[in-house]
Amino acid sequence: MTELTRVLSACGLVMALTAAAAQAPAQSPAAAAAPYHVPRTSFGDPDLQGLWTNASITTLERPAWLAKPVLTPEEAVKAEAQYKKWLSDNDKTADAPESEKGDPGGYNSFWLDPGTKFGVVRGEIRTSWIVDPPNGHIPYSAAGGRDAMATGMRQFRDFSGPEVRSLGERCIVGYGSTGGPPMLNVLYNNNYQIVQSPGYVVIVVEMNHDARIIRLGGQHPPDSIRPWMGDSVGHWEGDTLVVETTNLNPGQRFTADVRHRIYLAPNSKVTERFTRVSDHDILYEFKVEEPTAYTQTWRGEIPMHATKGPMYEYACHEGNYSLPGILAGARAEEKTAALAAAGGPK
Amino acid sequence: MNRSLAKTALAVLALAGVLWNAAPAHAAAPAPWRPPHLPDGHPDLNGVWQVLNTANFDILPHMAKAAMALRAGPNGPVPDKPVLALGAVGAVPAGLGVVDGGEIPYKPEALAKKQENQAHWLERDPEIKCYLPGVPRATYMPYPLQIFQSRSALLIAYEYAGGVRNILFADPGPAPVDSWMGQSVGHWEGDTLVVTVTGQNDSTWFDRAGDFHSDQLTVVERYTPTGPGTLRYEALITDPEVFTRPWTMHMTLYRRVGEDARLQQFKCVEFVEELMYGNLRKEPLK
Repeated sequence: MTELTRVLSACGLVMALTAAAAQAPAQSPAAAAAPYHVPRTSFGDPDLQGLWTNASITTLERPAWLAKPVLTPEEAVKAEAQYKKWLSDNDKTADAPESEKGDPGGYNSFWLDPGTKFGVVRGEIRTSWIVDPPNGHIPYSAAGGRDAMATGMRQFRDFSGPEVRSLGERCIVGYGSTGGPPMLNVLYNNNYQIVQSPGYVVIVVEMNHDARIIRLGGQHPPDSIRPWMGDSVGHWEGDTLVVETTNLNPGQRFTADVRHRIYLAPNSKVTERFTRVSDHDILYEFKVEEPTAYTQTWRGEIPMHATKGPMYEYACHEGNYSLPGILAGARAEEKTAALAAAGGPK
Repeated sequence: MNRSLAKTALAVLALAGVLWNAAPAHAAAPAPWRPPHLPDGHPDLNGVWQVLNTANFDILPHMAKAAMALRAGPNGPVPDKPVLALGAVGAVPAGLGVVDGGEIPYKPEALAKKQENQAHWLERDPEIKCYLPGVPRATYMPYPLQIFQSRSALLIAYEYAGGVRNILFADPGPAPVDSWMGQSVGHWEGDTLVVTVTGQNDSTWFDRAGDFHSDQLTVVERYTPTGPGTLRYEALITDPEVFTRPWTMHMTLYRRVGEDARLQQFKCVEFVEELMYGNLRKEPLK
């Protein structure tokens, strides 16, 4: 038995797609009897420590090109090949046709590390992390949808100064809710280190070297204290770490990856559940509650897999050439436009 | 006579009593303080710690002065224009320094560069731009740090700029790439945590006084519990590009307790946007 098949047999919850495809016949309900014993820290807490990744092709919301909530192994293999092709087709070379030279595009695929597989949760190959509502989409209310759209559009169109740019461009927190909550996979650096000590669980998010310090027990601070990534208080329910986050920073209410956008209403309560289901897998569940921006509580499930180090220092701000470049670019465009309006440079 | 005899007798008895009572204490001389240990046997360094010194202003002995940025006045230095409005808030508190021997053994050309750094403090100090502080400066920034320690890991999180250091206990060899906080490899020597830091880039400083290093820097830190609320912190600095010999600094880290024992967030990147990018606004502020 491969390690992955063992995991599948032991817990029946999370497995890697490769195992699903290659070892599917070995999957038998009878083998699911032995429960996984979560290791303990020296001070007795369930041990979640180590380096983990949530890199995957699966995204927060179900994309249009994948109509079904769950893929068969054959469909997944085909879709993964298609995804790989899209990534490489995106690469532009220095000798690009003249028509494309004004647009440098994004990173070449060499610089991306989004994952190569769909996420497998509870034995299913998922096409979205959101499982509730079943359509795989954030259930925005009319008001929530309006603010999501307005905030998002401002980030796409307004280059008047640093504060209106995205948190990722500003190097305040990693983009696309990589640091969460909820912690979502993005195009690269999907790595997390969990360290525990008596009374604490810390999640170091690679982007941008952010330590989410989760106190076990205690109260949230006054409403006026609204840190980046909110304020997180945790407790154990059996072997599961349950983390409740409130006091979210209003500046963090909209964030985007190329593949997803998330609007997190500032008064949301985000509840995350971390359950180690094998030596190599954590099942990460989250739900978001806020009565005005959403029509219902929405929930998602994401597998996190053990990964190897080292986790590099993502010193974003220290090397931020992008933000001054973006602002200077906007100023140059305005200058060109003003010259054109005045008759154009001769 | 009788009375004095009685007095003497009482005095002797009293003295004997004192000696009697004192004797057991002498027999078992006060045991040296032993730090609490985690179940895995290493001293428990978990907690929120902070220095109570002025090393971040200047690691060398210094008197209080009006400002870090000064310019010549008619009767001696006065605060430079950009910091003048801060008044006493911008002044520098005194300190006896943290460098053993009170001297940093700069090579002559390096000393000249330090002095130049001092003269250009506002443009050059990486702290002003909210850059990661490097080691050892991270330890004595005027913000707390928190140690998270388990059997398998030891992480230091710093309030300033959200810096983090993961202490490795298996040496992976040379750092794959230089970084702001470097690569930290630790081991225990008795009750002392010893951390060797390599792979730091040349962009961090030791303090606001322009003390600097190159990318050849190696820092060997020693964290030793000295009481329930204190850690002795020592750092051995080696950098053959900049210094003529290795040198050391030491100081005390104090444990924050009760409601103070919590890291707040000081992600200062957003606080320096006007300084760094204000000139690129569509309408720069007047």
